[in-house]
Amino acid sequence: MSAQDQNQPETTQESTTHFGYKTVQADDKASMVAGVFHSVAQQYDVMNDLMSLGIHRLWKRFTIDASGVRPGNKVLDLAGGTGDLTAKFSQLVGSQGKVILADINSSMLNVGRDKLRDRGLVQNIEYVQANAEYLPFEENTFDVVTIAFGLRNVTDKDKALRSIYSVLKPGGRLLVLEFSKPEHEILNKAYDFYSFNILPKMGELVAKDGESYQYLAESIRMHPDQETLKSMMENAGFEQASYKNLTGGIVALHKGYKF
Amino acid sequence: MHPQALCAALEVIINKALSMNLAQPTLPSSLEQKTLTISLNELGFPLCFTCNDNKLLVTSQKNLALDDNHCQIKTSFATLQELKKEQQLTKLIKEDKLDIDGNIKIAQQYAAIAENIEVDWQSELEQHIGDVATYKLSQVLKVIGEKLNFAKQQIQADASEWLVHEKRLVVTHSQLRLFYQAVDDVADDVDALTTRIDALIQASNSNQS
Repeated sequence: MSAQDQNQPETTQESTTHFGYKTVQADDKASMVAGVFHSVAQQYDVMNDLMSLGIHRLWKRFTIDASGVRPGNKVLDLAGGTGDLTAKFSQLVGSQGKVILADINSSMLNVGRDKLRDRGLVQNIEYVQANAEYLPFEENTFDVVTIAFGLRNVTDKDKALRSIYSVLKPGGRLLVLEFSKPEHEILNKAYDFYSFNILPKMGELVAKDGESYQYLAESIRMHPDQETLKSMMENAGFEQASYKNLTGGIVALHKGYKF
Repeated sequence: MHPQALCAALEVIINKALSMNLAQPTLPSSLEQKTLTISLNELGFPLCFTCNDNKLLVTSQKNLALDDNHCQIKTSFATLQELKKEQQLTKLIKEDKLDIDGNIKIAQQYAAIAENIEVDWQSELEQHIGDVATYKLSQVLKVIGEKLNFAKQQIQADASEWLVHEKRLVVTHSQLRLFYQAVDDVADDVDALTTRIDALIQASNSNQS
């Protein structure tokens, strides 16, 4: 099943959405995002380390620390890509628990699966190619759902949040780690310069794909800011929704509970 | 994100040390998925150690549920050092310097691992930089260690001299002994005087009657 096949038609009234700064047909966005990630999958980890100077590892650690995950828990790592969060969750939930690494993109999923298997992490991990808007799991299944640097690529974020809400167990929590809006204007300007001038060149040099990293920078700017995303989570039904800015708001971790 | 940076560094260092441990190359299976949380007052965030598949995971999770698989210790750096003496445990708990919750056996097992780490640093190092460089480096480190030790003793002696003799902020043992002797002498004098007064009162009462 390809990424395109999974993109079922939306029933929303709006038929267009954004792909970076471009306005595209909503039905086309998933395949365009898929194209980006098919292109960068092999160099994804190297680029993450380069672009963030390794800080993305601390952001992900922060997410794990905030998850309150315990041995025996069932975790869904949505848009899990190359499996950084899955690897840690797998170790923390132990043999009694389970981690599902889900991604809409088959290339990312393959890279993640190979990486985790090479590290000997096999016993409690399952791989599912899935669209966040239509999660193929029963209701009340997971103790923790995480989506790290994935929500901004989803066509209908509200639908995805509702879908996540339904698969969470009562008492379960969602953690959204995503690029956000820097708190200070000076940092914002420096970040803009870095994103639009340096990042695409880095992408061109390392991943041989400057356009995908141009999309990355644009998609970050188009993503809802901290307060908007918090409201979206509340609208989807999440309670005690809150967020924590990391690295001056370049990234924010949103957390919400289902009771 | 300092806690996460510290946890990441500790995880790498501890697992490297465990992989080179001559005394106990594998972690005990009884510790699998067992967590020890240490909350040090000075840090302000917890350090959680969990055994998984012969590796130690270090996280900074707050409010983890206390059960049979979890032990939580709240203390300070200074108290942690005092803990090396086993007889101190009860005293420290009574003094509220140490708070232990959960399964204490987990803490004991983790402590045993820490105490039994035995790494042949020189053998490990010579694989990377060669035996001559390792020997030279160990000699340099030995000399630095000795000098630091000497400097520490010298600083302690100088500080003691300055506090006791120059600034007179601290009393010496002999001064303290003389003070106690003087207090004892005064107490003896007071006792003798009390006895004498009692005797005089008694004599005066008998004369009146």
